[in-house]
Amino acid sequence: MKRFILLGLIVSSVFMFNPKSFAQTVDEIITKANLASYYAGNDGRSQVTMTITDSQSRIRTRGFQILRMDVQDGGEQKYYVYFSQPADVQDMVYMVWKYTDKDDDRWMYLPALDLVRRIAATDTRSSFVGSNFVYEDISGRNLDLDTHELLASPTDVYIIKNTPKDAGSVEFSYYMISIRKDNFLPVKAEYFDKQRKLSRVVEALEIKDIQGYASVTKSKATDLANNSNTVIDFSNIKYDLGLEADIFSERYLRRPPRKWLDQ
Amino acid sequence: MFKKLIHFSVHKPKLIMFLVLLMVVLSLIQFPRMKVDTDPENMLSEDEFVRTFNHQVKKEFGIYDFIVLGVVNENDPNGVFNPKTLNAVYALTEKVKGMEGVISREVIALSTKDNIRQGQIGEVVFEWLMKDPIDTQEQANFIRDEAKDNPMFNGTIVSEDGKAVCVYIPIAKKDISYRVSQEIYEAIKDIKGDESYYITGLPVAEDTFGIEMFKQMAMSAPLAGLVIFLLMWMFFKSIQLIISPMLLAVATVLSTMGLLIGFGFPVHIMSSMIPIFLMPIAVLDSVHILSEFFDKYKSIGNKQETIFVVMDELFTPMLYTSLTSAVGFFSLSFSPIPPVQAFGVFVACGVMIAWILTITFIPAYISLMDEKSFAKIGSGEAVKKEDVQHGIIDVILAKIQKISIYHYKTVLMLSVIAIIVSIYGISRISVNDNPVRWFDKNHNIRVSDRILNKHFAGTYTAYLVLDSEDQDKQIFIEPEMLKYIEDLQKYLLAQGMVGKSTGLPDVVKKVYSELLGGDKANYIIPQTKRAVAQCLISYENSHKPDDLWHMTTPDYSKVNLWIQLKSGDNKDMSVVLDQVDEYISNNPSPFKIKYNWAGLTYINVIWQNKMVHGMLINFLGSFIIVFFMMTFLFGSPVLGLISMVPLTITILLIYSLLGFIGKDYDMPVAVLSALTLGLSIDFAIHFIQRARDIYSENLSWPETSKEMFQGPARAISRNALVIALGFLPLLFAPLVPYRTVGFFMFAIMFVSSIATLFILPAIMSLLPKVLGVEQKRNLLCNCKYCVIISMAAAVTVIYLIRGYTAIAWGPTLIISVIVMGIMSAVCAQVGKHKFCMIDK
Repeated sequence: MKRFILLGLIVSSVFMFNPKSFAQTVDEIITKANLASYYAGNDGRSQVTMTITDSQSRIRTRGFQILRMDVQDGGEQKYYVYFSQPADVQDMVYMVWKYTDKDDDRWMYLPALDLVRRIAATDTRSSFVGSNFVYEDISGRNLDLDTHELLASPTDVYIIKNTPKDAGSVEFSYYMISIRKDNFLPVKAEYFDKQRKLSRVVEALEIKDIQGYASVTKSKATDLANNSNTVIDFSNIKYDLGLEADIFSERYLRRPPRKWLDQ
Repeated sequence: MFKKLIHFSVHKPKLIMFLVLLMVVLSLIQFPRMKVDTDPENMLSEDEFVRTFNHQVKKEFGIYDFIVLGVVNENDPNGVFNPKTLNAVYALTEKVKGMEGVISREVIALSTKDNIRQGQIGEVVFEWLMKDPIDTQEQANFIRDEAKDNPMFNGTIVSEDGKAVCVYIPIAKKDISYRVSQEIYEAIKDIKGDESYYITGLPVAEDTFGIEMFKQMAMSAPLAGLVIFLLMWMFFKSIQLIISPMLLAVATVLSTMGLLIGFGFPVHIMSSMIPIFLMPIAVLDSVHILSEFFDKYKSIGNKQETIFVVMDELFTPMLYTSLTSAVGFFSLSFSPIPPVQAFGVFVACGVMIAWILTITFIPAYISLMDEKSFAKIGSGEAVKKEDVQHGIIDVILAKIQKISIYHYKTVLMLSVIAIIVSIYGISRISVNDNPVRWFDKNHNIRVSDRILNKHFAGTYTAYLVLDSEDQDKQIFIEPEMLKYIEDLQKYLLAQGMVGKSTGLPDVVKKVYSELLGGDKANYIIPQTKRAVAQCLISYENSHKPDDLWHMTTPDYSKVNLWIQLKSGDNKDMSVVLDQVDEYISNNPSPFKIKYNWAGLTYINVIWQNKMVHGMLINFLGSFIIVFFMMTFLFGSPVLGLISMVPLTITILLIYSLLGFIGKDYDMPVAVLSALTLGLSIDFAIHFIQRARDIYSENLSWPETSKEMFQGPARAISRNALVIALGFLPLLFAPLVPYRTVGFFMFAIMFVSSIATLFILPAIMSLLPKVLGVEQKRNLLCNCKYCVIISMAAAVTVIYLIRGYTAIAWGPTLIISVIVMGIMSAVCAQVGKHKFCMIDK
């Protein structure tokens, strides 16, 4: 009986274009995509090389490690970002406590000033250290901020249109996201500006299987308005390291947890 | 040969008419290919260092030329900082962003800038200054306080008094600024608030000027033509007759413009002046012909016979007046400024076209006319009126004759005094220009310029780019270097000419103080390079990290200091250039740097310097060439020199007037010097040539002078009146350069006719013999003459070499001295030669 109902649902969704059943599917897809892209394992670590190429082909690089720990799958998370490149910013740290029900907490540690500052997180659309990625690209955008709509479902991806509920809070009018059907990793996000012109593209360039988790190992953000892009290379990805919760605290900003960092 | 041409024209007038018509039609079909270029930047050739550097700076630092839109609210107690005005500006900014050609992401406004400020305790916030439209006065106050607290914004996008805000609108190309400014005006119309909107900025001024100039051209040239027509009608009464010079002027202008366009030259601001320059030149010779024709016809009574007599008398002076005018303009082709070169060459062509038409078209036209229509000239009412006209001019001329002949010493003394006073006046001329001041002081752009520069630190921008000599070092995040720049900024501000300068030190200080809790005491450059780098990477976490790259390069090997000036006057920009040079030479930089300037305000200084300098050399060169020609024409260096006297006095007087009334020596004035030279010599040529012809018949100066003050002097005064008054309406033109042209035309005609009619007779009364200089003897036989002539020849040759090659003055001077020595020796030898001896 159950099988029939399920079959019926699928049939109706394919043939009858029942919006209600689509809505359910969309939520499932984006929830799975959110888990696949930001919540692999209980925790994780990665070496990151960021290459920013501006409109004049001038290149800047950033090198850092990301430690991540999930408090709850699909929910609260903690990030610790430790910088090693460029040399002048070595030992600089960003830390994020991500929530789904309120604004994130963010900290920044500047070693040369021996200064820990909280950064207001009311707006997460600001640049991540001068790159074409914004904060939300790194730690994920809260799913509840947008309404989601499945527009098409070609053979291997779902194409979903996401429209912000509060249009004033973001610089785009909507974005289209393509999610792989096999591993639910978003492979492309296209942002359309207020004039509904394609303005920014974020794409996964390389996906590898790491410890059984499909993981993006190379990603690129392109700003079409000023013809610049940023490529992120993830290396030495490791999941389920068993990170301790207390390293994600203000105390560890000044004293990087060497034990957990990939030397 | 040319005499044959005149005969041909008289006998085959219809063929001539057809050929002229053909020429005009051929020119007219070129017109659709017209390209218009209103960019003063093109005053410099494209590969000029300043231009390539400016282009490189704009690219490297992502800078665009911008239109300045200012909003001022003097009515609200909070100035523009009330919700209604701010929201209007917000909406307008959004509209502007969508306009074609506007670089929307680089628009600088309250709503497009990211601010760094204190949040809750221990928190920094990166936040759009005005993210959305606002509702309350508190929000408006908050925006004002934050904007004023940020040194990047204060004085730039928000005025110190809080009464005004500015939106800087970057545009893809300067030649769209007029269109964009019109679209903005259109958008402003819909806003109903108690604030006022102003648009200015060099690109708008320059582009608007280009457009209004063409409009003005289409009005002024025909208007001047009309006035000239009316004046001629007053003098000659016969409409049929005076139509001929008008047709000639039109044909000349059209064919010259057709030629210019046909050769593929864009019609630049300069070349749009061609019609107004050619018109008086084209009309001048025909007025001489008509004037003489008019006088002679009465006694001869046959049109063809009369025209031959008149042309015979006037042929040589007309040829020479045309050649001298052509030389004056042609000398502009040595100028280092491409549009000026094209202008000079084509006006010179136009002058020669006018001359050919004068000796062909006018005779042909007259021979086509019905003999009956001349009947009026000899009799009837026309004569009475015309006698009255003649009466006034003749009475004046008679007085001039008396004064210049009987009181010639006084006249000459006064001339000398005038020269001395003029030289003093000229020493007071200040060289200066500013495209904004090409408009009337009530023009929108001038008004906006005045008001916005009252409220803000300056709407004129220049970029000072400092560049590390060692490219591998990130010297501009070294605290020492930043402090050095900071001190330079303070120095410039203290000198008073710079309204504000913005650069990397300001960003570093602002971020540093906000990171440390917002205390003003920490508004300083941090101690270490690492600290600077970390401040900057913090800044890169904002919404607009790219703003940093308007001020430095990502490798920190260059910085760009944005300098705001309240005045776009070239002399003020030059002062700032000197201040920076002086500061940097007196205070060595901690690291080795090069520095250079970019930006429109700076570029204007460069082309002005080139132009003024170039014009002065051109002018001196053509002065000597004209002298050379005069010597050749009159067969006597002494007469040549005498013929230069009225011209010299005219030029000295007119230019000293600029010094006395405090008018700047600017682009139009510089270009007009060529015209002054070409036109002021004309009367002297006519006068001396005719005086000599008459003198050779009666051999008595008093007799000659009497005759001279009949026909020839009358022709000169008619000419002077026609042109001087014809261009008077230009004084009321809305564009300042047109007024300048009007003033110059008037002054050239007035002063040079007066100078010619007073001074030449006075000199001749002093030295009556000069008129009888033996023409037949070879000039070279007189050693003194020979030396003078060879000197002029040498200078001419050197001038030409200098004009067409890049040889510096040094070597050419040495060569010239050597040439002079050889020539003098040759002259001394020639004097002893056989063929000279025979004559003696």
